[in-house]
Amino acid sequence: MSDFLKIENLSVAYGAGAPAVNRVSFTVGKGAVVALLGANGAGKSSIMKAISGLTPATGTTTFEGEDISGLRARARVARGIVYVPEGREIVGGLSVRENLILGGYQKTASDRKKRIEMVLDLFPEIAEKVDRQAWRLSGGEQQMLAIGRGLVADPKLLLLDEPSLGLAPLLVRRVFDRLAMIRKESDLAIVLVEQNLAVTIRLCDELHFLRGGRIVGHSSATELKDVTARQQAIDAYLGAAVA
Amino acid sequence: MIYDLFPLIWSGMITGCLYALGALGLVMIFKCSKVVNFSHGNVAGLTAFLVYGLSSGMLLSLSWGAAVLLAMLAAIAIAFLIYSIISPLVFESDLTSTIATLGFGLIAQGVTLLVFGADIVALDLPIPRFAISVLGLLVTGYDLTVLVVALVTIGALFVVIDYTKLGIAFRAISANPFAAEVCGLNLKSVHYFAWITAALLGVIGALLIVPTTFLSVTTVATFMLQAFAAAVIGGFASLPGALVGGILVGVMMNLFTFYVSPEYSSTFLLAAILVALNIFPNGVLQKVGGSRV
Repeated sequence: MSDFLKIENLSVAYGAGAPAVNRVSFTVGKGAVVALLGANGAGKSSIMKAISGLTPATGTTTFEGEDISGLRARARVARGIVYVPEGREIVGGLSVRENLILGGYQKTASDRKKRIEMVLDLFPEIAEKVDRQAWRLSGGEQQMLAIGRGLVADPKLLLLDEPSLGLAPLLVRRVFDRLAMIRKESDLAIVLVEQNLAVTIRLCDELHFLRGGRIVGHSSATELKDVTARQQAIDAYLGAAVA
Repeated sequence: MIYDLFPLIWSGMITGCLYALGALGLVMIFKCSKVVNFSHGNVAGLTAFLVYGLSSGMLLSLSWGAAVLLAMLAAIAIAFLIYSIISPLVFESDLTSTIATLGFGLIAQGVTLLVFGADIVALDLPIPRFAISVLGLLVTGYDLTVLVVALVTIGALFVVIDYTKLGIAFRAISANPFAAEVCGLNLKSVHYFAWITAALLGVIGALLIVPTTFLSVTTVATFMLQAFAAAVIGGFASLPGALVGGILVGVMMNLFTFYVSPEYSSTFLLAAILVALNIFPNGVLQKVGGSRV
Protein backbone atom coordinates (compact mmCIF):
# COMPACT_ATOMS: atom_id res chain seq x y z
CA MET A 1 0.00 0.00 0.00
CA SER A 2 1.30 3.50 -0.85
CA ASP A 3 1.85 6.10 1.87
CA PHE A 4 -1.51 7.80 2.03
CA LEU A 5 -0.58 9.53 5.27
CA LYS A 6 3.05 9.97 6.21
CA ILE A 7 4.06 11.28 9.63
CA GLU A 8 7.72 12.18 10.06
CA ASN A 9 9.34 13.26 13.33
CA LEU A 10 6.08 14.57 14.76
CA SER A 11 6.54 16.29 18.13
CA VAL A 12 3.98 17.98 20.36
CA ALA A 13 4.85 19.98 23.47
CA TYR A 14 2.57 21.65 25.99
CA GLY A 15 4.50 24.34 27.86
CA ALA A 16 8.15 23.96 28.81
CA GLY A 17 8.02 20.38 30.13
CA ALA A 18 8.87 17.12 28.40
CA PRO A 19 7.16 16.78 25.01
CA ALA A 20 3.88 14.86 24.96
CA VAL A 21 4.91 13.39 21.60
CA ASN A 22 8.57 13.00 20.71
CA ARG A 23 9.69 12.55 17.08
CA VAL A 24 7.06 10.01 16.12
CA SER A 25 7.04 8.64 12.56
CA PHE A 26 4.65 6.21 10.89
CA THR A 27 2.67 5.78 7.70
CA VAL A 28 -0.88 4.79 6.83
CA GLY A 29 -1.79 3.25 3.48
CA LYS A 30 -4.97 4.00 1.55
CA GLY A 31 -7.80 1.98 3.09
CA ALA A 32 -5.57 0.74 5.92
CA VAL A 33 -6.44 0.76 9.60
CA VAL A 34 -3.55 1.61 11.89
CA ALA A 35 -3.92 1.52 15.65
CA LEU A 36 -2.00 3.48 18.23
CA LEU A 37 -1.95 1.77 21.60
CA GLY A 38 -0.55 2.88 24.90
CA ALA A 39 -1.36 3.68 28.48
CA ASN A 40 -2.81 7.03 29.58
CA GLY A 41 -0.38 9.86 28.86
CA ALA A 42 1.47 7.94 26.15
CA GLY A 43 0.72 10.70 23.63
CA LYS A 44 -1.94 8.97 21.53
CA SER A 45 -4.55 11.73 21.58
CA SER A 46 -1.88 14.41 21.07
CA ILE A 47 -0.83 12.63 17.86
CA MET A 48 -4.44 12.57 16.68
CA LYS A 49 -4.92 16.27 17.43
CA ALA A 50 -1.67 17.10 15.66
CA ILE A 51 -2.70 15.15 12.55
CA SER A 52 -6.07 16.90 12.53
CA GLY A 53 -4.45 20.33 12.98
CA LEU A 54 -6.02 21.01 16.37
CA THR A 55 -2.77 21.35 18.26
CA PRO A 56 0.55 22.90 17.20
CA ALA A 57 3.21 20.35 16.29
CA THR A 58 6.61 20.15 14.66
CA GLY A 59 7.64 17.59 12.06
CA THR A 60 6.12 16.84 8.71
CA THR A 61 2.65 15.53 7.90
CA THR A 62 2.10 14.51 4.30
CA PHE A 63 -1.37 13.55 3.08
CA GLU A 64 -1.92 12.22 -0.45
CA GLY A 65 1.51 13.59 -1.36
CA GLU A 66 0.79 17.11 -0.06
CA ASP A 67 2.65 18.60 2.89
CA ILE A 68 -0.21 19.68 5.17
CA SER A 69 1.94 20.51 8.20
CA GLY A 70 1.02 24.20 8.21
CA LEU A 71 -2.69 23.77 7.52
CA ARG A 72 -5.43 24.63 10.01
CA ALA A 73 -8.01 22.07 11.15
CA ARG A 74 -10.72 23.28 8.77
CA ALA A 75 -8.38 23.00 5.77
CA ARG A 76 -7.56 19.44 6.78
CA VAL A 77 -11.26 18.61 7.12
CA ALA A 78 -11.72 19.97 3.59
CA ARG A 79 -9.03 17.53 2.41
CA GLY A 80 -10.83 14.61 4.06
CA ILE A 81 -9.02 14.29 7.39
CA VAL A 82 -11.71 13.99 10.05
CA TYR A 83 -11.19 13.56 13.77
CA VAL A 84 -13.66 11.83 16.09
CA PRO A 85 -12.38 12.95 19.48
CA GLU A 86 -12.11 11.11 22.75
CA GLY A 87 -15.18 11.74 24.93
CA ARG A 88 -17.38 12.13 21.80
CA GLU A 89 -17.54 15.95 21.99
CA ILE A 90 -20.97 16.07 20.43
CA VAL A 91 -22.95 19.28 20.99
CA GLY A 92 -25.52 18.26 23.59
CA GLY A 93 -27.87 21.19 23.02
CA LEU A 94 -28.18 20.47 19.29
CA SER A 95 -30.45 17.77 17.94
CA VAL A 96 -29.02 14.60 16.42
CA ARG A 97 -29.73 15.97 12.93
CA GLU A 98 -28.11 19.32 13.76
CA ASN A 99 -24.99 17.53 14.99
CA LEU A 100 -24.86 15.63 11.71
CA ILE A 101 -25.30 18.89 9.76
CA LEU A 102 -22.38 20.26 11.74
CA GLY A 103 -20.29 17.28 10.62
CA GLY A 104 -21.01 18.07 6.98
CA TYR A 105 -20.69 21.82 7.39
CA GLN A 106 -18.22 22.12 4.52
CA LYS A 107 -20.23 19.96 2.12
CA THR A 108 -22.84 21.25 -0.31
CA ALA A 109 -26.47 20.96 0.87
CA SER A 110 -27.21 18.03 -1.47
CA ASP A 111 -24.01 16.14 -0.58
CA ARG A 112 -24.65 16.73 3.10
CA LYS A 113 -28.20 15.42 2.81
CA LYS A 114 -27.00 12.24 1.06
CA ARG A 115 -24.26 11.67 3.63
CA ILE A 116 -26.69 12.17 6.54
CA GLU A 117 -29.06 9.62 5.00
CA MET A 118 -26.16 7.19 4.63
CA VAL A 119 -25.15 7.66 8.27
CA LEU A 120 -28.72 7.21 9.50
CA ASP A 121 -28.93 3.97 7.50
CA LEU A 122 -25.69 2.83 9.10
CA PHE A 123 -26.81 3.74 12.61
CA PRO A 124 -30.56 3.05 12.86
CA GLU A 125 -30.31 3.53 16.64
CA ILE A 126 -29.86 7.29 16.18
CA ALA A 127 -32.09 7.49 13.09
CA GLU A 128 -35.07 6.91 15.36
CA LYS A 129 -34.05 9.88 17.52
CA VAL A 130 -32.98 12.33 14.86
CA ASP A 131 -34.90 15.28 16.33
CA ARG A 132 -33.92 14.54 19.92
CA GLN A 133 -31.34 16.70 21.66
CA ALA A 134 -28.01 14.87 21.64
CA TRP A 135 -27.51 15.06 25.41
CA ARG A 136 -30.59 12.85 25.81
CA LEU A 137 -28.94 9.94 23.94
CA SER A 138 -27.34 7.00 25.75
CA GLY A 139 -23.54 6.70 25.80
CA GLY A 140 -23.50 4.18 22.95
CA GLU A 141 -25.84 6.29 20.84
CA GLN A 142 -23.70 9.37 21.50
CA GLN A 143 -20.65 7.45 20.29
CA MET A 144 -22.53 6.41 17.15
CA LEU A 145 -23.50 10.04 16.63
CA ALA A 146 -19.88 11.14 17.07
CA ILE A 147 -18.69 8.60 14.47
CA GLY A 148 -21.66 9.41 12.24
CA ARG A 149 -20.89 13.12 12.44
CA GLY A 150 -17.37 12.34 11.29
CA LEU A 151 -18.65 10.21 8.41
CA VAL A 152 -20.99 12.96 7.15
CA ALA A 153 -17.85 14.92 6.26
CA ASP A 154 -17.06 12.16 3.71
CA PRO A 155 -13.61 11.50 5.13
CA LYS A 156 -10.70 9.84 3.36
CA LEU A 157 -8.90 9.43 6.67
CA LEU A 158 -10.84 8.97 9.92
CA LEU A 159 -9.01 9.60 13.19
CA LEU A 160 -10.90 7.65 15.85
CA ASP A 161 -9.90 8.45 19.41
CA GLU A 162 -10.96 5.78 21.93
CA PRO A 163 -14.38 4.94 20.48
CA SER A 164 -14.90 2.23 23.13
CA LEU A 165 -14.33 4.56 26.08
CA GLY A 166 -17.07 4.26 28.69
CA LEU A 167 -19.15 1.81 26.67
CA ALA A 168 -20.51 -1.56 27.80
CA PRO A 169 -18.92 -4.56 26.01
CA LEU A 170 -22.04 -5.18 23.92
CA LEU A 171 -22.03 -1.60 22.68
CA VAL A 172 -18.29 -1.73 21.98
CA ARG A 173 -18.90 -4.78 19.80
CA ARG A 174 -21.77 -3.01 18.01
CA VAL A 175 -19.69 0.11 17.32
CA PHE A 176 -16.73 -1.91 16.05
CA ASP A 177 -19.02 -4.08 13.88
CA ARG A 178 -20.21 -0.87 12.17
CA LEU A 179 -16.64 0.30 11.72
CA ALA A 180 -15.77 -3.07 10.15
CA MET A 181 -18.75 -2.66 7.83
CA ILE A 182 -17.61 0.83 6.80
CA ARG A 183 -14.14 -0.49 6.18
CA LYS A 184 -15.44 -3.33 4.04
CA GLU A 185 -17.58 -1.04 1.90
CA SER A 186 -15.11 1.82 1.34
CA ASP A 187 -11.42 2.57 1.03
CA LEU A 188 -11.53 4.75 4.11
CA ALA A 189 -8.25 4.80 6.02
CA ILE A 190 -8.49 4.85 9.81
CA VAL A 191 -6.06 5.76 12.55
CA LEU A 192 -7.49 4.24 15.70
CA VAL A 193 -6.47 5.07 19.25
CA GLU A 194 -7.58 2.41 21.69
CA GLN A 195 -6.79 0.81 25.01
CA ASN A 196 -8.90 -2.24 24.24
CA LEU A 197 -6.47 -4.52 22.42
CA ALA A 198 -8.93 -7.33 21.76
CA VAL A 199 -11.37 -5.24 19.70
CA THR A 200 -8.56 -3.29 18.07
CA ILE A 201 -6.99 -6.43 16.60
CA ARG A 202 -10.29 -7.33 14.95
CA LEU A 203 -10.36 -4.11 12.99
CA CYS A 204 -6.81 -3.01 12.27
CA ASP A 205 -3.95 -4.06 10.02
CA GLU A 206 -1.04 -2.64 11.96
CA LEU A 207 -0.43 -1.55 15.53
CA HIS A 208 2.06 0.92 16.99
CA PHE A 209 2.77 0.86 20.71
CA LEU A 210 3.46 4.14 22.44
CA ARG A 211 5.11 4.99 25.73
CA GLY A 212 6.20 8.41 26.97
CA GLY A 213 5.41 10.07 23.66
CA ARG A 214 7.50 7.67 21.57
CA ILE A 215 6.71 4.64 19.43
CA VAL A 216 8.36 1.76 21.27
CA GLY A 217 7.20 -1.12 19.13
CA HIS A 218 4.92 -2.23 16.34
CA SER A 219 3.22 -5.33 15.13
CA SER A 220 0.74 -6.53 12.55
CA ALA A 221 -2.74 -7.53 13.68
CA THR A 222 -2.17 -11.01 12.24
CA GLU A 223 0.84 -11.54 14.52
CA LEU A 224 -1.22 -10.58 17.58
CA LYS A 225 -4.06 -12.98 16.85
CA ASP A 226 -1.93 -15.58 18.61
CA VAL A 227 -2.76 -15.39 22.34
CA THR A 228 0.84 -15.85 23.46
CA ALA A 229 2.13 -13.14 21.13
CA ARG A 230 -0.64 -10.84 22.31
CA GLN A 231 0.27 -11.39 25.95
CA GLN A 232 3.93 -10.76 25.13
CA ALA A 233 2.99 -7.46 23.46
CA ILE A 234 0.91 -6.46 26.48
CA ASP A 235 3.73 -7.29 28.87
CA ALA A 236 6.36 -5.57 26.75
CA TYR A 237 4.56 -2.38 25.78
CA LEU A 238 1.32 -1.76 27.57
CA GLY A 239 1.39 -3.14 31.10
CA ALA A 240 -1.09 -5.37 32.86
CA ALA A 241 -3.84 -2.74 32.89
CA VAL A 242 -4.55 -3.23 29.20
CA ALA A 243 -6.15 -6.44 27.98
CA MET B 1 -53.20 54.80 41.26
CA ILE B 2 -54.14 51.27 40.26
CA TYR B 3 -55.60 52.71 37.04
CA ASP B 4 -52.08 53.70 36.08
CA LEU B 5 -50.81 50.13 36.39
CA PHE B 6 -51.75 48.80 32.95
CA PRO B 7 -50.49 51.82 30.98
CA LEU B 8 -47.25 51.63 32.98
CA ILE B 9 -46.86 47.92 32.24
CA TRP B 10 -47.63 48.54 28.55
CA SER B 11 -45.11 51.36 28.15
CA GLY B 12 -42.60 49.34 30.18
CA MET B 13 -43.01 46.45 27.77
CA ILE B 14 -42.43 48.77 24.82
CA THR B 15 -39.22 50.17 26.34
CA GLY B 16 -38.35 46.64 27.40
CA CYS B 17 -38.41 45.51 23.76
CA LEU B 18 -35.64 48.04 23.11
CA TYR B 19 -33.65 46.88 26.13
CA ALA B 20 -34.07 43.36 24.75
CA LEU B 21 -32.56 44.44 21.41
CA GLY B 22 -29.53 45.82 23.23
CA ALA B 23 -29.33 42.80 25.53
CA LEU B 24 -29.56 40.34 22.61
CA GLY B 25 -26.48 41.97 21.07
CA LEU B 26 -24.53 41.67 24.30
CA VAL B 27 -25.60 38.04 24.74
CA MET B 28 -24.81 37.05 21.14
CA ILE B 29 -21.26 38.29 21.53
CA PHE B 30 -20.83 36.76 24.97
CA LYS B 31 -22.28 33.38 23.96
CA CYS B 32 -19.90 32.73 21.11
CA SER B 33 -16.77 34.73 21.89
CA LYS B 34 -17.08 34.91 25.72
CA VAL B 35 -16.46 38.66 25.67
CA VAL B 36 -18.61 41.20 27.55
CA ASN B 37 -18.70 43.99 24.99
CA PHE B 38 -18.55 47.24 26.97
CA SER B 39 -18.26 49.26 23.74
CA HIS B 40 -21.78 48.24 22.66
CA GLY B 41 -23.52 51.39 23.96
CA ASN B 42 -20.97 53.94 22.80
CA VAL B 43 -20.71 52.40 19.32
CA ALA B 44 -24.51 52.38 19.01
CA GLY B 45 -24.51 56.00 20.21
CA LEU B 46 -21.95 56.96 17.57
CA THR B 47 -24.08 55.40 14.83
CA ALA B 48 -27.20 57.21 16.12
CA PHE B 49 -25.24 60.47 15.87
CA LEU B 50 -24.20 59.44 12.35
CA VAL B 51 -27.88 59.23 11.38
CA TYR B 52 -28.35 62.71 12.83
CA GLY B 53 -25.25 64.09 11.07
CA LEU B 54 -26.08 62.53 7.72
CA SER B 55 -29.73 63.60 7.69
CA SER B 56 -29.64 67.02 9.40
CA GLY B 57 -27.19 68.79 7.11
CA MET B 58 -24.42 68.71 9.69
CA LEU B 59 -22.39 66.27 7.59
CA LEU B 60 -24.74 65.64 4.65
CA SER B 61 -28.39 66.19 3.85
CA LEU B 62 -29.41 62.66 2.95
CA SER B 63 -32.86 61.20 3.27
CA TRP B 64 -33.66 59.51 6.55
CA GLY B 65 -33.57 56.04 4.95
CA ALA B 66 -30.18 56.62 3.31
CA ALA B 67 -28.76 57.96 6.57
CA VAL B 68 -29.93 54.89 8.48
CA LEU B 69 -28.51 52.60 5.80
CA LEU B 70 -25.13 54.35 5.92
CA ALA B 71 -25.14 54.27 9.73
CA MET B 72 -25.80 50.53 9.61
CA LEU B 73 -22.93 50.05 7.18
CA ALA B 74 -20.75 52.09 9.53
CA ALA B 75 -21.87 49.89 12.46
CA ILE B 76 -20.92 46.79 10.45
CA ALA B 77 -17.52 48.30 9.62
CA ILE B 78 -16.88 49.32 13.26
CA ALA B 79 -17.89 45.87 14.58
CA PHE B 80 -15.67 44.23 11.95
CA LEU B 81 -12.75 46.50 12.92
CA ILE B 82 -13.15 45.98 16.67
CA TYR B 83 -13.38 42.20 16.36
CA SER B 84 -10.46 42.09 13.89
CA ILE B 85 -8.28 43.96 16.39
CA ILE B 86 -9.26 41.96 19.46
CA SER B 87 -9.65 38.53 17.83
CA PRO B 88 -6.09 37.43 18.72
CA LEU B 89 -6.98 38.24 22.35
CA VAL B 90 -10.34 36.46 22.20
CA PHE B 91 -8.64 33.08 21.80
CA GLU B 92 -6.11 33.82 24.55
CA SER B 93 -7.98 35.61 27.34
CA ASP B 94 -11.65 36.47 27.76
CA LEU B 95 -10.81 39.03 30.43
CA THR B 96 -8.20 40.89 28.37
CA SER B 97 -10.50 41.11 25.37
CA THR B 98 -13.36 42.30 27.59
CA ILE B 99 -11.13 45.06 28.99
CA ALA B 100 -10.10 45.95 25.42
CA THR B 101 -13.76 46.62 24.60
CA LEU B 102 -13.79 49.27 27.34
CA GLY B 103 -11.04 51.01 25.39
CA PHE B 104 -13.01 50.82 22.15
CA GLY B 105 -16.04 52.23 23.97
CA LEU B 106 -14.00 55.24 25.08
CA ILE B 107 -12.65 55.68 21.55
CA ALA B 108 -16.20 55.60 20.13
CA GLN B 109 -17.30 58.18 22.73
CA GLY B 110 -14.26 60.35 21.93
CA VAL B 111 -14.97 60.21 18.19
CA THR B 112 -18.61 61.15 18.86
CA LEU B 113 -17.52 64.17 20.92
CA LEU B 114 -14.89 65.17 18.35
CA VAL B 115 -17.20 64.99 15.34
CA PHE B 116 -20.58 65.93 16.80
CA GLY B 117 -19.67 67.90 19.92
CA ALA B 118 -21.15 67.70 23.40
CA ASP B 119 -24.48 69.35 22.53
CA ILE B 120 -27.79 67.63 23.04
CA VAL B 121 -29.62 67.25 19.74
CA ALA B 122 -33.05 66.08 18.66
CA LEU B 123 -33.20 63.24 16.16
CA ASP B 124 -36.56 63.46 14.49
CA LEU B 125 -37.35 60.13 12.91
CA PRO B 126 -40.42 59.64 10.68
CA ILE B 127 -42.38 57.66 13.22
CA PRO B 128 -46.20 57.77 12.77
CA ARG B 129 -47.74 60.25 15.17
CA PHE B 130 -51.14 59.04 16.27
CA ALA B 131 -52.72 57.63 19.36
CA ILE B 132 -55.60 55.21 19.66
CA SER B 133 -57.40 53.83 22.65
CA VAL B 134 -57.47 50.03 22.91
CA LEU B 135 -59.55 48.74 25.83
CA GLY B 136 -58.86 51.97 27.64
CA LEU B 137 -55.13 51.76 26.96
CA LEU B 138 -53.54 54.60 24.98
CA VAL B 139 -51.45 53.10 22.17
CA THR B 140 -49.29 55.51 20.18
CA GLY B 141 -47.70 55.25 16.75
CA TYR B 142 -44.33 55.12 18.50
CA ASP B 143 -45.46 52.13 20.59
CA LEU B 144 -46.60 50.22 17.52
CA THR B 145 -43.45 51.12 15.56
CA VAL B 146 -41.22 49.83 18.37
CA LEU B 147 -43.33 46.71 18.78
CA VAL B 148 -43.35 45.86 15.07
CA VAL B 149 -39.64 46.60 14.51
CA ALA B 150 -38.61 44.71 17.66
CA LEU B 151 -40.82 41.71 16.91
CA VAL B 152 -39.66 41.49 13.30
CA THR B 153 -35.99 41.93 14.24
CA ILE B 154 -36.04 39.48 17.15
CA GLY B 155 -38.19 37.01 15.18
CA ALA B 156 -35.77 37.11 12.24
CA LEU B 157 -32.83 36.63 14.59
CA PHE B 158 -34.45 33.61 16.26
CA VAL B 159 -35.29 32.07 12.86
CA VAL B 160 -31.65 32.44 11.76
CA ILE B 161 -30.33 31.00 15.03
CA ASP B 162 -32.81 28.13 15.22
CA TYR B 163 -33.28 27.07 11.61
CA THR B 164 -30.23 27.91 9.49
CA LYS B 165 -26.83 26.32 9.03
CA LEU B 166 -25.24 29.53 10.31
CA GLY B 167 -27.47 29.34 13.38
CA ILE B 168 -26.37 25.76 14.02
CA ALA B 169 -22.75 26.90 13.75
CA PHE B 170 -23.44 29.77 16.17
CA ARG B 171 -25.04 27.44 18.71
CA ALA B 172 -22.30 24.84 18.31
CA ILE B 173 -19.51 27.37 18.80
CA SER B 174 -21.34 28.85 21.79
CA ALA B 175 -21.74 25.45 23.45
CA ASN B 176 -18.61 23.58 22.38
CA PRO B 177 -16.03 25.48 20.29
CA PHE B 178 -13.72 22.46 20.21
CA ALA B 179 -16.43 20.28 18.64
CA ALA B 180 -17.13 23.02 16.12
CA GLU B 181 -13.45 23.23 15.21
CA VAL B 182 -13.27 19.45 14.88
CA CYS B 183 -16.07 19.69 12.30
CA GLY B 184 -14.05 22.18 10.26
CA LEU B 185 -15.95 25.34 11.18
CA ASN B 186 -14.27 28.71 10.92
CA LEU B 187 -14.75 30.04 14.45
CA LYS B 188 -13.72 33.58 13.53
CA SER B 189 -16.31 33.91 10.75
CA VAL B 190 -19.09 32.93 13.19
CA HIS B 191 -17.70 35.41 15.73
CA TYR B 192 -17.85 38.10 13.02
CA PHE B 193 -21.49 37.18 12.41
CA ALA B 194 -22.26 37.64 16.13
CA TRP B 195 -20.39 40.94 16.45
CA ILE B 196 -21.94 42.41 13.30
CA THR B 197 -25.46 41.25 14.22
CA ALA B 198 -25.00 42.72 17.70
CA ALA B 199 -23.90 46.06 16.22
CA LEU B 200 -26.98 46.16 13.99
CA LEU B 201 -29.26 45.34 16.93
CA GLY B 202 -27.55 48.17 18.81
CA VAL B 203 -28.25 50.65 15.99
CA ILE B 204 -31.91 49.64 15.82
CA GLY B 205 -32.28 49.92 19.61
CA ALA B 206 -30.50 53.28 19.71
CA LEU B 207 -32.58 54.79 16.91
CA LEU B 208 -35.82 53.68 18.53
CA ILE B 209 -34.93 54.88 22.04
CA VAL B 210 -33.85 58.36 20.89
CA PRO B 211 -37.38 59.62 20.01
CA THR B 212 -38.34 59.27 23.69
CA THR B 213 -35.50 61.52 24.75
CA PHE B 214 -32.80 63.69 23.18
CA LEU B 215 -29.57 62.43 21.70
CA SER B 216 -26.42 63.14 23.67
CA VAL B 217 -23.06 61.42 23.98
CA THR B 218 -24.30 59.46 26.98
CA THR B 219 -27.94 58.77 25.98
CA VAL B 220 -27.37 55.43 24.28
CA ALA B 221 -24.65 54.33 26.70
CA THR B 222 -27.13 54.88 29.56
CA PHE B 223 -29.78 52.94 27.64
CA MET B 224 -27.28 50.12 27.25
CA LEU B 225 -26.88 49.98 31.04
CA GLN B 226 -30.52 48.88 31.16
CA ALA B 227 -29.81 46.42 28.34
CA PHE B 228 -26.88 45.10 30.35
CA ALA B 229 -29.20 44.56 33.33
CA ALA B 230 -31.64 42.75 31.02
CA ALA B 231 -28.85 40.48 29.80
CA VAL B 232 -27.78 39.71 33.39
CA ILE B 233 -31.35 38.94 34.47
CA GLY B 234 -31.67 36.67 31.43
CA GLY B 235 -28.50 34.82 32.41
CA PHE B 236 -26.14 36.54 29.93
CA ALA B 237 -25.91 33.39 27.83
CA SER B 238 -29.53 32.90 26.81
CA LEU B 239 -31.15 34.71 23.88
CA PRO B 240 -34.73 34.07 25.09
CA GLY B 241 -33.48 35.10 28.55
CA ALA B 242 -32.31 38.43 27.14
CA LEU B 243 -35.74 39.01 25.63
CA VAL B 244 -37.55 38.22 28.88
CA GLY B 245 -34.94 40.17 30.88
CA GLY B 246 -35.45 43.23 28.66
CA ILE B 247 -39.20 43.25 29.16
CA LEU B 248 -38.83 42.64 32.91
CA VAL B 249 -36.37 45.53 33.25
CA GLY B 250 -38.62 47.83 31.20
CA VAL B 251 -41.70 47.07 33.29
CA MET B 252 -39.89 47.13 36.66
CA MET B 253 -38.15 50.44 35.88
CA ASN B 254 -41.44 52.02 34.85
CA LEU B 255 -43.26 50.84 37.97
CA PHE B 256 -40.42 51.89 40.26
CA THR B 257 -40.10 55.31 38.64
CA PHE B 258 -43.82 56.00 38.93
CA TYR B 259 -44.65 54.47 42.31
CA VAL B 260 -41.39 54.96 44.23
CA SER B 261 -38.89 57.47 42.90
CA PRO B 262 -37.46 58.48 39.53
CA GLU B 263 -34.27 59.70 41.25
CA TYR B 264 -33.35 56.24 42.49
CA SER B 265 -34.24 54.28 39.36
CA SER B 266 -30.57 53.57 38.53
CA THR B 267 -29.96 52.41 42.10
CA PHE B 268 -33.01 50.18 41.80
CA LEU B 269 -31.63 48.77 38.55
CA LEU B 270 -28.29 47.88 40.14
CA ALA B 271 -30.10 46.33 43.12
CA ALA B 272 -32.24 44.31 40.68
CA ILE B 273 -29.05 43.00 39.01
CA LEU B 274 -27.65 41.93 42.41
CA VAL B 275 -30.89 40.24 43.44
CA ALA B 276 -31.18 38.50 40.06
CA LEU B 277 -27.61 37.24 40.29
CA ASN B 278 -28.34 35.77 43.72
CA ILE B 279 -31.72 34.22 43.00
CA PHE B 280 -31.21 33.29 39.32
CA PRO B 281 -27.45 32.98 38.82
CA ASN B 282 -28.07 31.32 35.43
CA GLY B 283 -30.93 33.57 34.42
CA VAL B 284 -34.67 33.65 34.86
CA LEU B 285 -35.14 30.97 32.19
CA GLN B 286 -32.64 28.59 33.74
CA LYS B 287 -33.21 25.01 32.58
CA VAL B 288 -31.86 21.64 33.56
CA GLY B 289 -29.76 19.96 30.87
CA GLY B 290 -29.13 21.34 27.39
CA SER B 291 -30.71 24.43 25.94
CA ARG B 292 -31.67 25.15 22.36
CA VAL B 293 -30.44 28.73 22.00
